[in-house]
Amino acid sequence: MKTSLQAVALWGKNAPPHSISAIMITDDQQTIVTGSQEGQLCLWSLSPELKISAKELLFGHSTSVTCLARARDFSKQPYVVSAAENGEMCVWNVTNGQCVEKATLPYTHTAICYYHCSFRMTGEGWLLCCGEYQDILIIDAKTLAVINTFTSSQSPDWINCMCIVHSMRIQEDSLLVVSVTGELKVWDLSSSINSIQEKQVVYEKESKFLDSLNCQTIRFCTYTERLLLVVFSKCWKVYDYCDFSLLWTEVSRNGQFFAGGEVLAAHRILIWTEDGHSYIYQLLNRWAQMGAAYKTFSGLSKSIYPADGRVLKETIYPHLLCSTSVEENKSLPFVMGYMNERKEPFYKVLFSGEVSGRITLWHIPDVPISKFDGSPREIPITTTWTLQDNFDKHQTVSQSIIDHFSGLEDEAGTVVVTSSEYVPSLDKLICGCEDGTIFITQALNAAKAGLLEGGSLLKDSPSHKVLKGHHQSVTSLLYPHGLSSKLDQSWMVSGDQGSCVILWNIFTEDILHKFFLEAGPVTSLLMSPENFRLRDDQIICCVCSDHSVSLLHLEGRKCLLRARKHLFPVRMIKWHPVENFLIVGCADDSVYIWEIETGTLERHETGERARIILNCCDDLQLLKPEPALSVASETHKHKSIEQRSSSSHQLGPIPCPGLQVESSCKVADAKSFPTPFNVLPVKTKWSNVGFHILLFDLENLVKLLLPTPLSAADSSNSFYGSEILRRAKSTVEKKTLTIKRNKTASGSLSAEAQAKPLNDGLIQGNNAIKFIEENDDIKRQKKTKSSKKKHTKASRKVDANLTIDTAKLFLSCLLPWGVDKELDNLCINHLNILKLQGPVSLGLASNEDHFSLMLPGWDLCNTEMKKEYSRVNLFSRKVLDLSNKYTATLPNHVGTPRRLENNCDSFEESNAIVYLLSRLFLVNKLVNMPSELACDFDRFFKTESMHNKVKSPGNDILRISSFYGYLRNDKNESHTPDADLPLLKLISCWRDQSVQVTEAIQAVLLAEVQQHMKSLRKTPIDSQPVSTAENGNCEMMQIPKKKEWTEELELQCIRNTSAPQTPVSPVKHDSNSNSANFQDAEDMPDRCVLEESESPGDPRHHSWMAKVCSCKVC
Amino acid sequence: CIPALGKGVLRAPVSSEEEGWLLPVSVMPQSLHLEASLRFTLPGSGTEGPAKQENFILGSCSTDQVKGVLTLQGDALSQADVNLKMPRNNQLLHLAFREDKQWKLEQIQDARNHVSQAIYLLANRDENYQFKTGAEVLKLMDAVMLQLTRARNRLTTPATLIAASGLTRMFAPSLPSDLLVNVYINLNKLCLTVYQLHALQPNSTKNFRPAGGSVLHNPGAMFEWGAQRLEVSHVHKVECVVPWLNDALVYFTVSLQLCQQLKDKISVFSSYWSYRPF
Repeated sequence: MKTSLQAVALWGKNAPPHSISAIMITDDQQTIVTGSQEGQLCLWSLSPELKISAKELLFGHSTSVTCLARARDFSKQPYVVSAAENGEMCVWNVTNGQCVEKATLPYTHTAICYYHCSFRMTGEGWLLCCGEYQDILIIDAKTLAVINTFTSSQSPDWINCMCIVHSMRIQEDSLLVVSVTGELKVWDLSSSINSIQEKQVVYEKESKFLDSLNCQTIRFCTYTERLLLVVFSKCWKVYDYCDFSLLWTEVSRNGQFFAGGEVLAAHRILIWTEDGHSYIYQLLNRWAQMGAAYKTFSGLSKSIYPADGRVLKETIYPHLLCSTSVEENKSLPFVMGYMNERKEPFYKVLFSGEVSGRITLWHIPDVPISKFDGSPREIPITTTWTLQDNFDKHQTVSQSIIDHFSGLEDEAGTVVVTSSEYVPSLDKLICGCEDGTIFITQALNAAKAGLLEGGSLLKDSPSHKVLKGHHQSVTSLLYPHGLSSKLDQSWMVSGDQGSCVILWNIFTEDILHKFFLEAGPVTSLLMSPENFRLRDDQIICCVCSDHSVSLLHLEGRKCLLRARKHLFPVRMIKWHPVENFLIVGCADDSVYIWEIETGTLERHETGERARIILNCCDDLQLLKPEPALSVASETHKHKSIEQRSSSSHQLGPIPCPGLQVESSCKVADAKSFPTPFNVLPVKTKWSNVGFHILLFDLENLVKLLLPTPLSAADSSNSFYGSEILRRAKSTVEKKTLTIKRNKTASGSLSAEAQAKPLNDGLIQGNNAIKFIEENDDIKRQKKTKSSKKKHTKASRKVDANLTIDTAKLFLSCLLPWGVDKELDNLCINHLNILKLQGPVSLGLASNEDHFSLMLPGWDLCNTEMKKEYSRVNLFSRKVLDLSNKYTATLPNHVGTPRRLENNCDSFEESNAIVYLLSRLFLVNKLVNMPSELACDFDRFFKTESMHNKVKSPGNDILRISSFYGYLRNDKNESHTPDADLPLLKLISCWRDQSVQVTEAIQAVLLAEVQQHMKSLRKTPIDSQPVSTAENGNCEMMQIPKKKEWTEELELQCIRNTSAPQTPVSPVKHDSNSNSANFQDAEDMPDRCVLEESESPGDPRHHSWMAKVCSCKVC
Repeated sequence: CIPALGKGVLRAPVSSEEEGWLLPVSVMPQSLHLEASLRFTLPGSGTEGPAKQENFILGSCSTDQVKGVLTLQGDALSQADVNLKMPRNNQLLHLAFREDKQWKLEQIQDARNHVSQAIYLLANRDENYQFKTGAEVLKLMDAVMLQLTRARNRLTTPATLIAASGLTRMFAPSLPSDLLVNVYINLNKLCLTVYQLHALQPNSTKNFRPAGGSVLHNPGAMFEWGAQRLEVSHVHKVECVVPWLNDALVYFTVSLQLCQQLKDKISVFSSYWSYRPF
């Protein structure tokens, strides 16, 4: 996913599956991190009361997550490293879900330990890794590059588990590992740092055979600095660390498998099992208890545990104190961990994650004791939570994109979408449902209906079509025209669970043909590349779940080939255009070559030869590059996982969402006319429940809106444009009138204003639908005439309305609604955007294929936000502060307000939107700027400050303007770059303070909207004719006036709240006073900052504030 | 010590709970044999004692330049006797392992470890454990198949020369500087390749084109070895079939097919209850 893409997730009612395969709690005990077999990571917030709530889902791995570990000193940087089955490694910032570093190594890790030795090491420390390879890999925690290995001189083998022993007594850190064969090995850590860094070979210091297999955990008792706990799957053992002599072996009973353990305190240990039980033992000293019997038994114990001829100093045996268990309805295996924090206010927590996605916590008492009769005490479960609980609790937030169809269905069940496809050229979303119906709807409207208030009014609109023809769940969809413009635009192909494939005409809603394949559920539908043609037509390829492949010829309405010999799932399909071969690669690395004309199996190869054949095809494709190929290949990447050649489709059980997102974005890029809006269906492994991501391409939005000034929209050939213009003009004029009236009357602005937007929304919405429908008709006509010329300027103009709608939806999703009720209303009235129903799940893209999505209920994760329920969609508390900072720097330039003081008409509205978007884009660019450019930028700022803010629009400015060159076109010329400099400076300052992109964008949006609205509110009072001339005097005059006005408004608001006779309901009183406060804060950011820092927020907040203030830009 | 898989039955109630329908599927009793067939007796596992030594006489039909006897002990190469007839002067060169050294064949070791992981995945639950959903079995099968595929791929993908770089240190007397030796597994064969090399001058006019990590370098191939640039002048390859490797590969294929059949069965049954996502 590109960073300029802004994502909004529409989750639906069902949580995506999250089969926990790794779990950890961060050192600050505020976040639980889990990794899943599906490849996603989930961040859960853990409250001080040990309540769990899922916060966000991190996408990036394409295979099962094998382990998680701390990747830095957590108090300095909240970084966690994750490793996946296929060798991918990622370092994540767990406070914001950003991927900081990524790498793919040819190693599968099963355990990672972070090691840092501050006084001997430079850099960020090491990740000591073990897994499906010999010995220990040392990986740099910052760059994720392999530094060196710890090598075994004796019988090197895979390492199962390890631990770092830090002994105060001997002042030396050691690494203890146990290999798969049960060999314990010890390496010196701290004393070999230099030799490791100098790439020397470091061999183990000691090794000892432990005589058990499947070692799960090794732990050193830091309390006694003597005991060593080693947990094997069928037994656990205690060793003396001094000489590795065995002190005790406890064999598992009734078929349980041990999974791990931890030392709780001196002589107290905790052991847990694969099925989620745990046991706390006290290790008792046998001799101390026996007292007098010392002599008799000493000989005996010696004979049982011969320890190299030396007398054992102590002999121990375990006594069971407490146990924990989970409910019987469990799913194996459990992954568990224990967090031992001795400092207050932290807890001792035992935690477990299940394959079903459930997290369970036990609060372990400081001193666990058994019952009075000596029998073990059961420790109750403290908390348990799943992802689905989050979805159930915050159901209003978890809208699905087709929820507004549910009215059509019977009341019993809502529709479950089993497959979907978005057609950007028509803005249609095609959804195949579980009951066999297919919905076709306007994606933008569907998204609006799901997300926005008043969007519910769209529900009844006849904007969607229902195709009925399948009798079973629709499993796959294909829109051929989207892949090749030569195919008929009305065609759509769908396949169902019952192996039936239907060719539809989506405009007339007719079934053109039904193919019955009799081969099990259709798992995917693909199309042959453009360079592959059979009788001048491209063909459709159906992969079914009985591993067969069928080729369908759409024009001829017939099935060309049924390839049924495959024993394993089909992973890859390649086309050989010259010899008319279909090459099928299966999951077992075998290759089948089918002759398409005759339908015979030409060859079947396995192993090395199969690999060569598949690679050969790649070469063939590469040998003749056709100009048309590139676009086609881009579109084909949609379906492919490993994007290699145009004619290869890779499919199978790894539809990794991360890559899909990436590839589909590439699709958007490749097209000659960019799509600013896209709907991406995402499915996870082993599940047919999916969700949708709305993607807004900020860059494309700005590009589309800026170069064609909107005046083009009301040119005669696009009649609806002028229509909307007229209507908008009239409504806006009406609105300004009402506002004026309100102002002059008693200032009870909010009551009226709140009544208005609903109507407006309705009108606006209805119009939009009508226009889009018309829009479609026009398009269709055009395209039937000359389908090739679809990227002409005319079509772009047609799209302008859609683009504005997209922009509005985007702003709706980003605006922190509820911060200021008055502001909300103004936004609704003047920008014509609708309010959100609830907080949306925003996404954050870290790079091409790593991104995070907020989960329903994310807004309640921050404890400090809980009290302020009125605030919908405020990303974090920080946003307000940032926004204030921004406003503080803003008055320097008055370009916007002045421009917006023109008579309010629809130009204003769209201009404002365009302006806001371009601002957001700029912010996004700035915060995401690559570091080299950032350095350049900072240097520029330094020189600029040396000049002591003397306006010198010389080369320096040019350098900047080259950076955001295309933003500075004729549209925005009214404010030159130097007017923006303080703002740019501020924002690039945010980047250094690790302010998140979303935060920055939201803050800027809030500030800009506030500024904009201020000016709008001002106009009615300001009777003075406004000059558009760029006059310095005018600027000087306006600033003080603005201040006066805001004060006036403040007074008004206060008066409003104090006066009971005003016809406002008590609720609105509150909101008004609230808004007054914010007005206040807006004008006096410094005071606000003081207040904020005095409020009992969390310490992180404070530290951040300190940082901001020290930077001196504000 | 090997987890008993004797039951060989995985009970998988597929789909709907209310029907309580059970699908008893026998899952790879073959995997039991895998362990035995691969001689993957984990060292020191008690009763069996140290792994048996087996001698393999390596030869080639095309050439008699190289003859070798390699001794395998489990996954380790414990002895090697290689006779090399130098092509230039027909001098006979004898290469042998140091007495105290063993060379772990990483391919076999990895394959063994992958198999034991697969077995552990299947065995680490209670005998009476009931699978709740089809998806659970699918996930398990995916994990097992991943391990089995990796095990098979380790045997079918020969180790490169770079991976065997430590092998040169195993010989006594040490190898002449113009010789390199690689021992690897290719499918069911134990292979030995002896490279005769000559060093390229650092400033030689010859265009240096590194051959990359290919398994078998042909004469004329160039690569970097440590700080040196080398060119291959002669290659001698000899091999010998290891019967139990053959068995292992067959069992891998069979078990993978069994796993896939189980997966197929589950998806067939779950598609019958198509309204319930499995």
